[in-house]
Amino acid sequence: MTLVVEAAGLHVSYEAEGGERRHVLRGLDLAVEAGELLALLGPNGSGKTTLLRAIAGTLPRDAGRVALFGRDLAAWPRVALARRVAVLPQALSLPDGFRVAELVEMGRAPHATRWFGSSPEDAAAVERALADADALDLGDRYADELSGGERQRVLVAMALAQEPALLLLDEPTLHLDIAHQAALLASVSRLQERRGLTVIAVLHDLNLAAAHAPRIAVLGGGRIAADGDPASVLHPALVRELFGAVVDEARTADGRRFVVPRAPSAARNEPSVPSARRYS
Amino acid sequence: MRAGVAPRSLVRAPALTRAAVVLGGGGALLLVALVVGVGLGSVAVTPEEMMRVLGHRLLGLGATSGVDASIETIVVDLRLPRVLGAMVVGAGLACAGTVFQAILRNPMADPYIIGTAAGASLGATIAIVLPLMAPALAIGAAGSWLGIGFVQLFAFFGGLGTVLLVIGVARQGGRLPSVTLLLTGYAVSSLLAAGVSLLMFASGRALAVIFSWLMGSLAGVGWADLAIAGPVVAAAFILLLARWRSLNLLLLGDGPAAHLGLDVGHAKLQLTLIATMATSAAVAISGTIGFVGLVVPHVLRLVIGPDHRLLLPASAVLGAALLVLADLGARLAGGIPVGVVTALVGAPFFLWLLRRSRRVASTLSA
Amino acid sequence: MVPRLLRIPLLFVLLLAACAAAPSTGTSPPASVIATPPASSPWAAAYPLTVIDDVGREVVLDAEPQRVVSLAPSNTEIVCALDACDLIVGVTDFDDYPPEVSDVERVVVGAQVDVEAVIAAEPDLVIAAGNELTPTSVIEQLLDLDVPVMTLYPESLDEIYADIELVGRALGRVDAAAELVDDMTSRVDAVRTTVAELEAPRTFYEVGVFEGTIYTAGDGSFLASLIETAGGDPVTGDALSTSIEIEDLVAADPELILLGDASYDPTITAESVAARPGWATMTAVVDGRVVSVTEDIVITRPGPRIVDGLEALARAIHPDAFGS
Repeated sequence: MTLVVEAAGLHVSYEAEGGERRHVLRGLDLAVEAGELLALLGPNGSGKTTLLRAIAGTLPRDAGRVALFGRDLAAWPRVALARRVAVLPQALSLPDGFRVAELVEMGRAPHATRWFGSSPEDAAAVERALADADALDLGDRYADELSGGERQRVLVAMALAQEPALLLLDEPTLHLDIAHQAALLASVSRLQERRGLTVIAVLHDLNLAAAHAPRIAVLGGGRIAADGDPASVLHPALVRELFGAVVDEARTADGRRFVVPRAPSAARNEPSVPSARRYS
Repeated sequence: MRAGVAPRSLVRAPALTRAAVVLGGGGALLLVALVVGVGLGSVAVTPEEMMRVLGHRLLGLGATSGVDASIETIVVDLRLPRVLGAMVVGAGLACAGTVFQAILRNPMADPYIIGTAAGASLGATIAIVLPLMAPALAIGAAGSWLGIGFVQLFAFFGGLGTVLLVIGVARQGGRLPSVTLLLTGYAVSSLLAAGVSLLMFASGRALAVIFSWLMGSLAGVGWADLAIAGPVVAAAFILLLARWRSLNLLLLGDGPAAHLGLDVGHAKLQLTLIATMATSAAVAISGTIGFVGLVVPHVLRLVIGPDHRLLLPASAVLGAALLVLADLGARLAGGIPVGVVTALVGAPFFLWLLRRSRRVASTLSA
Repeated sequence: MVPRLLRIPLLFVLLLAACAAAPSTGTSPPASVIATPPASSPWAAAYPLTVIDDVGREVVLDAEPQRVVSLAPSNTEIVCALDACDLIVGVTDFDDYPPEVSDVERVVVGAQVDVEAVIAAEPDLVIAAGNELTPTSVIEQLLDLDVPVMTLYPESLDEIYADIELVGRALGRVDAAAELVDDMTSRVDAVRTTVAELEAPRTFYEVGVFEGTIYTAGDGSFLASLIETAGGDPVTGDALSTSIEIEDLVAADPELILLGDASYDPTITAESVAARPGWATMTAVVDGRVVSVTEDIVITRPGPRIVDGLEALARAIHPDAFGS
């Protein structure tokens, strides 16, 4: 099985206000195979988005190696990379004045061969992307008229228009209500199967991740602190160690597992979490 | 799900007819402006006389034009270059404004915003004042190099040099953050404007000249000016139009544009430089004329949308036509600076526009 | 390797140089705007004529000018003083002397030269003013259109004489010019003789006070030398801006104040001046030697009537020697 993403000894830092250097990723290793759906979790500031951007190639790394599709990231020409990797951004903003179809066509930019117009392949890819994103009915609408959920679908279509092999989702559920959160992840799973995508999704909701992602990796201490299927990762002891939160495990009527944070008054009775485990 | 929709119609058809209408209409307006601009003025020229003169001079028809020598001189040596100059300047400023509004994602951006006006003004002011302060240099405001007047040269390189300085300061490791660019441009502009004020204070007799340059005027634009500014603006237009995709992508935001394969820092840099070239060339021959570069792209964006494939050519055509008409108005009003006309018309129009449409501001702050 | 930043500008600079260096189309040869001279003119033999104007430009006249456009009132007055008023076909809206020019077309309105109107008047000579009073760009434009332009900018009495003679040569009125200059020099000599033995009072000539800035004769200016010739010791301002700081004026302590701006503004009087803060202690104000001047226009217009101005100044500075 080919490795779509391979990170070894990855160090990423950035200069914060005041000039101090913040080391976010400290020697991180990660391997993602083709066709996987991986959820990236971790407490605030643990470097989830940083890792995603490092993989996407938009954040420079201090040390270590990142390889995509077997080739070192530095060796990937920008446009060639954009033909294989698509990023679904966090924000739901879209520029006004464009029709949805025109926006989705912008996703074809890395593949563009014609100077001024779009080729038949482009037009077909746009149609496919809209269909897969369940947004065909939005094609003629203007971006500023859309609701949040509709915008999300358009953004997904834009990403799909790139015909990527790897899809990176940067906290896509942040601005969505509960119904749309579930819908988005369900459609991502569906797309993954239909198009054979490899997906890495940064999520903040443990239960949502557990419900949809066969593999969960949790960041802590600048590295992957836990990596495995939801059952093993979603363990109260692990959650407490990595997130500093006291949770209880529970099951739904049909046997699905989920975790619930314990009420603060009850949590106080537990021995306090050692400060060394805090990773902000 | 809509069934049976031909893929082409989603991305093609509406845009083409829109383009035809807009460019066709704009072209017609431009033609009318040309005829009216050359025909009207303190000396009236009938369309018939105009045709005869142009026919004789351009097409070689007849031994003479059959029209008064003075009328012929007025049409060919005074009005025609002036009107064509107005087109070049109007097109250049409008295109530059369009580009800066996209790069900076700021609806208040005009072609001068990152320092071109301040730099060109300082350059021109120095060229005007220098001969007075140091007659030994014997350049003279009348001096020229390769046929280009010193004031124009100093203005052009003043504008260009200032932008290079601003870019150099605002650049952060290969990236050109829009906000930094904007603020740096503002700071440098203020500094240079202070320099201009200082020179104006010490300028004595040249004050009237400096002031009239700052207000912007197309009087005195001749064929020599056109021969330089014309190709520069035309080249800039072609280079910008070729980058329509980058401009559209920048509207998505720096991050998404980068993820779609655009080298954002590099693209912004190139676009800034090309637009600055056009602006500097325009300012060099006509001084700092305001509002054209700000209002034209806004109006067009509301009517035809932000796709730069159409927006750029439309801006060029409309900017050209409007400036010809504004210059005509300036001439008929007694030779007032055309910058006054564009301000008097442009500012209220812009305010009306803002009130009418909330889309004006939101188009760019996606 | 050219740094990336400079590649595009360099491209454009090369484009610029290529366009400029390429054989320029220049202006297409315009039809001649010069009329042919009447055969009866006694001076026909003197043309074609080349003269050098005040800015060193060669002015080539193929024939005796029949249509003259004047871009400054002083130029108009010179032409008219040479009895060539009827040649004038264009003046400025500041022209007010002699009365004959009141019907002539105004080609300069509000200091803006309407080049089209100048061309429409079909002049064979344009007399412009130097030092940007006529913008150099306008002069260049007219020259490009093959219109002969003579630029005058006299900064002393001698230079005015020279300009009168220059215009006389250009218009074929050499004798009239010589006569006028003789008359002017003898009047000036008379003034000089009279004031030679008299003590020169420190004289401050107020050109105007605008927004708190006081304008007077600049250091080394024509007005300053005129005051000297009239027997005064001028208090001068900055050479370039012609302004003087109030403190410097108080320190100079003029003995005589001449209100040139009283020629245009009747509210400016000795009393209003005395009321200005800081002015009351000046010797001139204390002694009551603040004089309103009504002839400012001829004092500051460098034309044939400059001698009238000189005499007016002399009368104001030495009233006893010249009568009221």
